[in-house]
Amino acid sequence: MSAAVQPLTTIGHVTPRVDAIARVTGQAKYTNDLKLPGMLYARVLRSPHPHARIRRIDTSAATRLPGVRAVITHETAHVVWGAGAVAGGRQYSDAIKERTRQRRYIFNNPVRCVGDAVAAVAATDRHLAEQALALIRVDYELLPFVLEPEAALAVDAPLIWPEGNLCPDVDNNCAPVVSDHGDIAAGFAAADQVFAQRYDTGFVHNAQLEPRCALAHWQGETLTLYTPSQGIANCRHDMARDLGLEDHQVRVVCHYMGGGFGNKNQNQDADLIAATLARHTNAPVMLEYTRRDDWLGMHGRWPTVQQYTVGVTNEGTVTAIQLIGYSGMGPYRKNAGGISGLELYACPNRYRSITPVYTNRTTSGNFRAPSEPHGVYGIQSIMDDIASKLGMDPVAFTVKNMLRPTEEQPFTNYSLDACIQLGVDTFDWQARRKVIPGSDAGPIKRGAGFSFMMFRAGVGTSSAIVHVDARQRYTVFVGVTDVGPGAKTTMGMIAAEALGVPLSHVDVVSGDTDRCPYSVGESGSRTTIMTGMAVVEAVQNLQHQIAAHGMPTGNDVFVASATPAPTTDGKARQCFGAHFVEVEVDTRLGTTRITKYVAIHESGRIINPQTARDQIRGAVLQGIGQALHEDLLYDPASGQALTTGYYRARHLTHLDVPTIEVHFLEVDDGYGPFGAKTIGESGIILAPAAVANAVCNATGIRMTSLPMTRDKLLGAMA
Amino acid sequence: MHDTSDASSFRHQGTHPPADQRSPSATVPALGSASADAATAAMIAPARTAIRLTVNGVRHRIDVEDRWTLVELLRDHLDLTGTKIGCDRSECGACTVLLNGQPVYACSHLAVWADGADVQTVEGLARDGQLSPLQQAFIDHNAPQCGFCTPGQLMTATALLNTVPRPDAEQVKQALVGNLCRCSNYNAIVEAVVAAGAYQGGAA
Repeated sequence: MSAAVQPLTTIGHVTPRVDAIARVTGQAKYTNDLKLPGMLYARVLRSPHPHARIRRIDTSAATRLPGVRAVITHETAHVVWGAGAVAGGRQYSDAIKERTRQRRYIFNNPVRCVGDAVAAVAATDRHLAEQALALIRVDYELLPFVLEPEAALAVDAPLIWPEGNLCPDVDNNCAPVVSDHGDIAAGFAAADQVFAQRYDTGFVHNAQLEPRCALAHWQGETLTLYTPSQGIANCRHDMARDLGLEDHQVRVVCHYMGGGFGNKNQNQDADLIAATLARHTNAPVMLEYTRRDDWLGMHGRWPTVQQYTVGVTNEGTVTAIQLIGYSGMGPYRKNAGGISGLELYACPNRYRSITPVYTNRTTSGNFRAPSEPHGVYGIQSIMDDIASKLGMDPVAFTVKNMLRPTEEQPFTNYSLDACIQLGVDTFDWQARRKVIPGSDAGPIKRGAGFSFMMFRAGVGTSSAIVHVDARQRYTVFVGVTDVGPGAKTTMGMIAAEALGVPLSHVDVVSGDTDRCPYSVGESGSRTTIMTGMAVVEAVQNLQHQIAAHGMPTGNDVFVASATPAPTTDGKARQCFGAHFVEVEVDTRLGTTRITKYVAIHESGRIINPQTARDQIRGAVLQGIGQALHEDLLYDPASGQALTTGYYRARHLTHLDVPTIEVHFLEVDDGYGPFGAKTIGESGIILAPAAVANAVCNATGIRMTSLPMTRDKLLGAMA
Repeated sequence: MHDTSDASSFRHQGTHPPADQRSPSATVPALGSASADAATAAMIAPARTAIRLTVNGVRHRIDVEDRWTLVELLRDHLDLTGTKIGCDRSECGACTVLLNGQPVYACSHLAVWADGADVQTVEGLARDGQLSPLQQAFIDHNAPQCGFCTPGQLMTATALLNTVPRPDAEQVKQALVGNLCRCSNYNAIVEAVVAAGAYQGGAA
């Protein structure tokens, strides 16, 4: 089952993207590149205060400005953004959205963070729209605010919602999210030693390079929305629900988009604001967010506090793991606020309590592997320390304690040992790791770190349509958008392989809800597995028709579709990975430089080796940014966000970037399209933990706060 | 004109032009001041200046509003939307174009400052339907992921290759430091630019 994969004809070969020429000639049309006749430009006015009640908004001067066509506020546009706040942070469930009590509107009163939308203007020119914003007078009653999750839970904390600052769960109950496996008390009783450590992690903005925008165009009671979306089908359904329409009255189009990294498999407030303005003005409206709008009005990885307690025997067997965590969700519950990582260990006694908390920071949301990198950083930091204190190699400690298949929970395949071993050999772990952390003489110290993971690669339902005409050209219709990983190319390659024809015989139609069937959306690393499986089955259906009737002739077209509901027969299906990194810390400056990085992944069969490799390389570098630089800092006195941009959040540049070595162990476990598993999110999960462990190995000092900025490193070493 | 041995000289030029190029007629309305009517009038009928410039070999004479940036002129008025706006404030480099052969951030360069200039955008890289060696290398090496930073990366790299025909990886990184890629596909971009130098056989 897990033997080396059988070579295929198209899949597994380096293949240029089908739309590569458009991407390098400037011909690829992104949302903001579109123009419609009579199109207006829109801008959003945002709260300058972290928490305030709007007493009065005077829009008269803005409305009088010639060229201004509409000014809307919470008084005139009372639109619920259903996906903007969901009980329990549980997207994709209409029932939960329906019963969510703490509603988020496109304009809220009170405003609950700096950057909360207050009003929007549509005008004939973007400069006029900006000037109109400056003419809107808002009378605010300032309210006390709170920025830190634990402070927000204090009895005398300012209330962001009347029910309190503990976010409600899916049933609107305000209680921590608890998962309790085994017997945690018995686990600690069985331990020879108990270790405890607290970690905190920062807010990491998705920071996709394309600022959020949306172009809304009504024709009668039908809305066409051009928007950078990671899920055109979900976006369409969200828009219809929020605007009181039927799904078929909304068309969502996205052919190119400038990144996403999560958080866009729903509709966005920009979509609703553009649609509302377009309805008020009876004209197409292009809403453009500025970079600062995007930084504060969009969402990023939730900041966390993680308090771990771990019991272990003297022989190095983990007997109990407890996590008490807090996630800062901002003032609206958009997503779950999870902290993952405990489940990577075989230890049966695991207790996790996570309290998602409202704060007056910007809203937190999904960013590539939403619950993983910060959680894996925390748990694998304390495990690294425990191994060190027991005198064990962290790799040996991991191999002893990591989750493995059991009779109760079999896996479709299991490659973690193989990934770790390949990494140990490729990286030369024994030579690079300091047996005594911080033992380099001199101010510049080297050390090595390691981390490991498994991540969901489950199968699921999506849809595809394939047709063939008399020219023997095949057209695949899939409701995917290409966020950047190359989904159009991947879908075409899967179809070509299944059809047994060259990729050049296959066209892919995507990114348009009026032309394509439902797709799950480009989040959760699902596109290749789920929509890819639908492509495989649609091709099989088409081949049955061809077998029965021969190829079509004349004007005939054969059409086949599939909406499979595959299962893994009760087995867990995971992708696997192990990362090894060497760092050089300048203890005089507090700077950390990556000198070697080896990423080993088993993601099943690799469809396109080039784009797969670059998904991992890019994700690793984003993870390094999270480890070393990126944070959304707030001024505690004013509640103002301070690092709302690439420079201020210190995003990686070309000069910061090491070469990332990627190795795939290829496996076909018999599930998914030709055995493909998840890739997109998996690469980001391990970098923060691996870098933190390497910094500790280099300096002998455990950094308990992400990002490990220069000031924190110097402070820890002082 | 340039020291061909020094790749670092191809970092982005400052966004401010020489004083003699600055428009004397640019007026910023004083919002909320006593002269609100005058400010409103300036909003409705902003100052305009006639400029001439060449874009991708095509000469234009156009009345530009003094407040337009070069990237607005290109995207909104010359329909060259290949150049992207990522930050609109000199941070990300998505808007990079060549102004008289030098990379500039078009989001932070007023259109009036481009009077008399020769501008090259991503749309001008392919000639007679033939991709430039750099464009071909970007395809071969998967340099675009989402593709939003790609036009800017291409333009800065074009300027580098025009003067350093076979840069090594370090020279490429130095030159492209002002072009961010949030997909973080930096490794592939550098590999592509280095390969383009090899494709060109060392000829600019």
